[in-house]
Order: sequence, then structure tokens, then C-alpha cells
Amino acid sequence: MTGVSADASAKLPMTVVAGYLGAGKTTLINRLLAEDHGLRLLVMVNDFGAINIDADLLESRDEDTLTLTNGCACCTMGADLFMAMGDALDRRPRPDHLVIEASGVADPKRIADAGIAESEMTYGGIVTVVDGVEFPRLAEDGLIGPQVRAQAAQADLLHVSKVDPTPDALLALLAEISGASVLDSGAGDPLSPLLFAIPANPRRSAVAAVHPDYVSYSYEGPVAMTRGEIGSLIARRPQGLFRAKGRIAEEGGASWEVQVVGTQVSITRGPAIAVTRFVGIGLASNVTRGEIEDWWKAALPVPHPA
Amino acid sequence: MSDTTVFRAKKIITMDPDMPVATHVAVRDGRILAVGGADCADQWGGASHDDGLSGTVLMPGLVEGHAHMMAGAMWRYAYAGYHDRIDPDGVLWKGLADIDGVVAGLKEYGKRLGPDDPLVAWGFDPIFLPTERLNRNHLDEIDRDRPIAVMYSNFHLMCVNSKALELAGYSRETEVVGVAKGPDGEPVGELREMAAMFPVMRRLGIDFRGLSQTEPAIRSYGKVAVRAGVTTATDLFATIEDGDVETLLRVTGEDDYPLRLVPVLGAIGGSPEEIAAKALRLGERGTEKLRLGAVKLMTDGSIQGWTARVKWPGYVGGQPNGIWNTPPDMIHQLVEAMHRNGVQLHIHTNGDEASEVSMNAIEAALRKHPWSGHRHVLQHAQMMGRDQFRRAAELGIAVNLFANHIWYFGDQHAALTIGVDRARRMDAARSALDEGVVLAIHSDAPVTPMAPLFTAWCAVNRRTMSGRVLGENQRITVEEALHAITLGAARTLKMDGEIGSVSVGKRADFAILGEDPTAVDPSRLKDVPVLGTVMDGRVFRA
Ligand SMILES: [Zn+2]
Repeated sequence: MTGVSADASAKLPMTVVAGYLGAGKTTLINRLLAEDHGLRLLVMVNDFGAINIDADLLESRDEDTLTLTNGCACCTMGADLFMAMGDALDRRPRPDHLVIEASGVADPKRIADAGIAESEMTYGGIVTVVDGVEFPRLAEDGLIGPQVRAQAAQADLLHVSKVDPTPDALLALLAEISGASVLDSGAGDPLSPLLFAIPANPRRSAVAAVHPDYVSYSYEGPVAMTRGEIGSLIARRPQGLFRAKGRIAEEGGASWEVQVVGTQVSITRGPAIAVTRFVGIGLASNVTRGEIEDWWKAALPVPHPA
Repeated sequence: MSDTTVFRAKKIITMDPDMPVATHVAVRDGRILAVGGADCADQWGGASHDDGLSGTVLMPGLVEGHAHMMAGAMWRYAYAGYHDRIDPDGVLWKGLADIDGVVAGLKEYGKRLGPDDPLVAWGFDPIFLPTERLNRNHLDEIDRDRPIAVMYSNFHLMCVNSKALELAGYSRETEVVGVAKGPDGEPVGELREMAAMFPVMRRLGIDFRGLSQTEPAIRSYGKVAVRAGVTTATDLFATIEDGDVETLLRVTGEDDYPLRLVPVLGAIGGSPEEIAAKALRLGERGTEKLRLGAVKLMTDGSIQGWTARVKWPGYVGGQPNGIWNTPPDMIHQLVEAMHRNGVQLHIHTNGDEASEVSMNAIEAALRKHPWSGHRHVLQHAQMMGRDQFRRAAELGIAVNLFANHIWYFGDQHAALTIGVDRARRMDAARSALDEGVVLAIHSDAPVTPMAPLFTAWCAVNRRTMSGRVLGENQRITVEEALHAITLGAARTLKMDGEIGSVSVGKRADFAILGEDPTAVDPSRLKDVPVLGTVMDGRVFRA
């Protein structure tokens, strides 16, 4: 049997980047690798063909791994995606976040579900890249249409490429197929705070201030909640809240780990903590920072006396 | 002068029309020097005589054009299938015909394991056990302390015991699609699709990558072949890294390795141009016993999983059309890149729409880059109609049909997947031959066991498990079927100049049989005993 770490704090979040051939998945991945997010990303791609890393960011390169100076790495997944996922979990130190580039016809949900099933991973969501020019034609294609539509339907976030802003007709078509929020191609620079739910950090560029495309609210304080209270809080979250994560203290020293991506919610036991931390992020077109803050504060039970 | 050995047999079926039968074959330097009677080597300076095979019937070494190396290494796990199977070491594993049988069989197997070993089984197929579904309570009867996982034959499902559920952290709290729960809210043990199976596989150390290209895997594949009378077999969708080539060269290069191995590179992990370049590079490293350089391309899924891409009128149950594992645009790009670089393609197509798209791609590539000898092969090609075979013949495309499906899944296809009309002309060997297409037939081992005589029996008799004849007009003769498992399959591998018939100049590769397959009743073709093989003139007993 393999040695499986039981350290819950090292859970590996996994985001799946889906989309048909040529939609722009690698463009998105190139951006994520280059952004200054401070995370050690591990990106698994089908092939290196379109991965281009600035020479000054590239530390080393071998047959199946690119190592970056910023701590990120990019590798090919080989014939067996799930076995490669196992390898990612076995890496020491474990990466901060795993990003998987699904093949052009993959059913992204079948991959992303592993993030829910595997107790050492968390679900980081499905980002489907939609070709702003070709999508309407592909969605009607007799051979590939159903698979292209399914990729959009399963998304937590739709990232439209090649056109900006997204034409109304495409927005209407996407709304018919999918309940996911739509991120325009020009929007979201950097993208990593939205995808990886990185709290606004004063030492880094504050997400909400600099990037009007999305808003974030973060909380740090003494609040404690029960599992039931957290459940009903999350159930009442504002519609436009795309991503939330936090570790919420419970009286008696335990804690609950909360992950929200689109419609996917997970609340699992965490280690004892002193301080509750929570961050919520949404697209500016769907939600305001004030709405997130009001929701969170209104729902807070009476703070636990220190 | 080199040594010459003359083997005497009761009968030699040569598959060579210039001398269809003989009693003696002379071998020098691993090749066939002469064929005929006892004196056949006399004009070559005489020979020593080997009468060790004199009570047997020899055929050209059989050629398995579509199988996978894991057919050997799967046997590191317990077999829990419905049908009897023989492992690489010749041990018969009786089929487990009901759930009690599965429990008893695996309990017995568990006694051989160390205390910390998980119990992993494969090949379980509920389609043949229409009773209660296998659940964790059954497996808990086998062992409560040791994790147990029973993989289903389609590899999309598994059933595990309570210990394995506990290791994966699955409980009533688990909200995972694919972790089936009972009325009491507890997981029942059945796990569906990889996302749900992965946490168990990881903790039980089940990693299919180790079932190919490792030294034990290569060796046990060789043993599987000897028992089937096979001297040349493909590994049809191989992941081949540089280190793998070294291992493959070393093991297959041993004199007592009994197989000509044909690993066909899976078309993944690079751009079409990179894959073509890799195939060409690999091709240069080939030897007499290790053939590299061809590429396998996936297109659609499987018919019994309703994932094959089929033409109108689709599936009888109204299921939506299947899925593309490679999108049609990419099929075109890959076919063009391989074709332009002179790389032969083996293209997995189960449904007739997948066959059509693949032929469209080949035709488009041919218009740009004429290549009359490409001999690209449609693999499985189970639903091709006569029109499609005519087109294949026109385009120089060969087919390798999945004849074993007729017996294993024919009843299901008629009732549940494509309906009786098209099931009657599934794996249409008669149509293929009538239209002049190069024909091979295959097992897809480990999906069904590697046994070309059984595969030939399927194509000749077209009997299903229930005993019906499915499509009597698609039956072929014994001679045609024997051709398909020798010279026909050799042609699909472009090796017909070296193997596939007992002809002067070819490799001295033979199947050693206990009876004459052309003399037994065609309904008994599958029962002709395989006693072993001869490879390069060296005898391997099964
Ligand atoms: Zn196969």
C-alpha cells in the first residue's frame, strides 16, 4: 500500500480547465502559471505543445516536467489521468493547488468529482473556456455538439475567449445551457484570486480595489459556529458568490473547513484553530462586496467571548 | 555451414497456396529453409531431424493483431469473471457463476495473501449474474480486516468491502456521485466511474501503468501467447518512453522470449507532428522480435457501454449517441500527420459513424499525400456495413474485426444496444472478404481471452452465449478464418513478408496443435488443443 498522508491541512484543491480544441485552455494556463499569486501550482496538461513560459521564469525542463522559478510546475499527465493525480498527491512538498487541463472532449465533471471523492483533495471547480467565435457553431455540430454543450453545462465558471465583451447572443445561448457565471475574455487580470480564492492580501494587490471585474470580502476574527449554523449560512449565500473558502472555529476547539465553488459546497472537519478566516469572491457583474459582507455579518452568531 | 533442423509433423497447414499441406519443414538460422517431405532439406546439404513434434499438427504461428500487454500482468490480481479462464502459468480459473461463487472463490484466494495485502479481483461481470447486485456485505464475508476491491470487467465500476470504504473515508456523510448508497444511507460498496474508484485504488496500490512495459508484464504476456499458439502479438495503445524501449529490447531479445511483440504507440501526449516524429524514432529501434513504429488512435467508446458513435437509427433503447474520445477535427489532424509521415495507423472505431469519420480522414489525407501502401487499419470496426467495406477496399484500408463479441455480447447487442438487424451483421467478416478487404479478427485481450482459434470459431459459427446463430450470412469458412488469424493479421501489421505462412524465407514461427483444425467439425474449432509454439525454430511448450 502507498503511504498516504493523513495531514488534513495539506489538502490539495483541484481545478479543471475544460473546453473544446482551440478554445484557449492553454492561453488560460499560461496566464495562471505566470501570475504573481504566490502559490506553488502544479499544472497537468495533455502536451507541452502550447505551453510557453518566459525564459526568465523557467528553471528547468525535462521530458515531462517544466519547473518554474516561482515554485510552480507543469507536467504532462500520460495515459492515465487519475494515476497522475495520485502522483500529484504523493509529491513532497505537496503543491498548493492542482490545475488539470482536460482534453478537448473530456467530460470535466468526471475529473473534477475526484476532488470531492478523495479526502486529501478539495473541489476547486470547473472552468470551461468557451470559444467566443466558434461556440455557437460547435454547439450545433452534429458530431461534437452534445459534448461541447456538456462542457459548458458542467462549468462553475465560463471564460469566454477571443471576443470582448461577450456578445449578447452568446450570453443568451450560454445562459440556456449553463447556470455558470460568465467571465469576459478581457476581464480578470489576474485570474488567480478568483479561481484559487486567495484572500485579498495587503502585501499583494488588493483584488477588489485593483480589479473591477471581481470583488472579494475577507474576514478574520473570533467567531465560532456549529456545523448546522455554517450549513444554513452557506445555503443563504448571495447568488453571485462564486468562490468562498475558510476555516471556521467551533466552540470547544474544533473547526470546519468550508469550500464553495459555484454550486458545489463542502464542509468538512478541520483541526483546532484560534481564529476564524473566511474569504468570499464573486464577479462584479453579479454581486457587490457589500452584499457579501452584509450576508456574512448578518448571519454571524454572537461572537464567542475570547 | 549453419545447422539445419527438419521438423516432422503429422501435418503442416502452411497457408501457402503453392504447397498447402506438408509433413516436414526445414529450419536454418531461425528461418524456413524448405517445406515438403522428409527429404525437403536434402538439396541444402542435409539436416538433423527433430521428431519431437511428429504427433502434432503445425500451422503458421498465430497472429493476434489487437490485444494489450496487460492481458498477462492482470493475473497479479484474482480473476472473478463468469467464464472459465486460464492464467499465463496454465492454471484454470473456474468461472464464478453466482455471488456465492465469487465469495467462496475469493475467500480461497485470500488464504494465499500476506496479512497486509489488499485483495484485488478483476473481470467481474454483473451482466451475466442477473440476481442481486454485489455489495459490501458479500465482500465482508470474505474478510473484514483486509481491504477488498472487485473490479468489473468494463473497468468503469468496482465493488469494495467495508474496510476499503473506511480507508477511502467513505461513509454516510459522503456526498459523491458514484458512491452508491443503500436505503439506510450507508455506502453499499459499489463505486461507479474513476472519480469514485480512484481513492480506493490509490490506497490499495492499484496502478494499471505497472501492467505494461515492466519486465514481469512483458514476460507474462509471452506466456499468454504461447498458450494461445500466438507467436506475434500487438500491444495496441502503448505508452512508450525511452527507458521502456530499453526494457522491451532486452527482454524480447532473449533467445527464450517466445513472442514477436508489436507495441503500437498510443496517440496522446503531444501534437500530431510530435507523435509522428516519436513513432518514426521508435520505428528505427525495432528488431526481429520487437516491432515499433505504428500508432494507435482512439475515436469513440464501446457499443455495450452505449458510448460508440453510431449512425441512424442509433441505439434501440433510445440512448443518446456515444462520445468521441478524440474529436473528429483532431482525428483528421492526426490521420493527416501520420499519413504524411508514412506512419501506419490503427484506428479504434466501434460504431459505424466512427468508422465513417475515420475513412473520411484517411480519404482526405490520401488526396493530399498519395500513398498506395499505407494499409491503415480500422480496429474493431464492429458495425461496418457492406458500403463501408467497399469504401475501405477502395481506399486500401484493412480491418481487424472483434469477432469474439459475437459470442460474448451478441445477445446483448441484439436485445439492448443496436438491435437485431445490425447485430446480425456485426463484425461482418463475410462482407469484408466479399468486398476484398484485408481481414484480421481479434480478442482485444484482456477484454476477452487471447485465443485465436476461439476467435476463428466465432467468425465461422457466429454463435452467441445463448446458442443462437447471429447472422448466418456473415459466417466465413474455416480456411478463411485460419487465414484471418495468420496471414490476414500479418498483413494488418505489414509483416506478411516475414510471418503468417509456412513459406521459404519466412521466420520459423509455428503454432503446435493437437488436432487438425481443418479436419474437425467447424463447431469444434475452438476445442483444438494448443500445445505450444515454435519461434525462430525454437520450441516452446504450453
Ligand atoms: Zn483494445
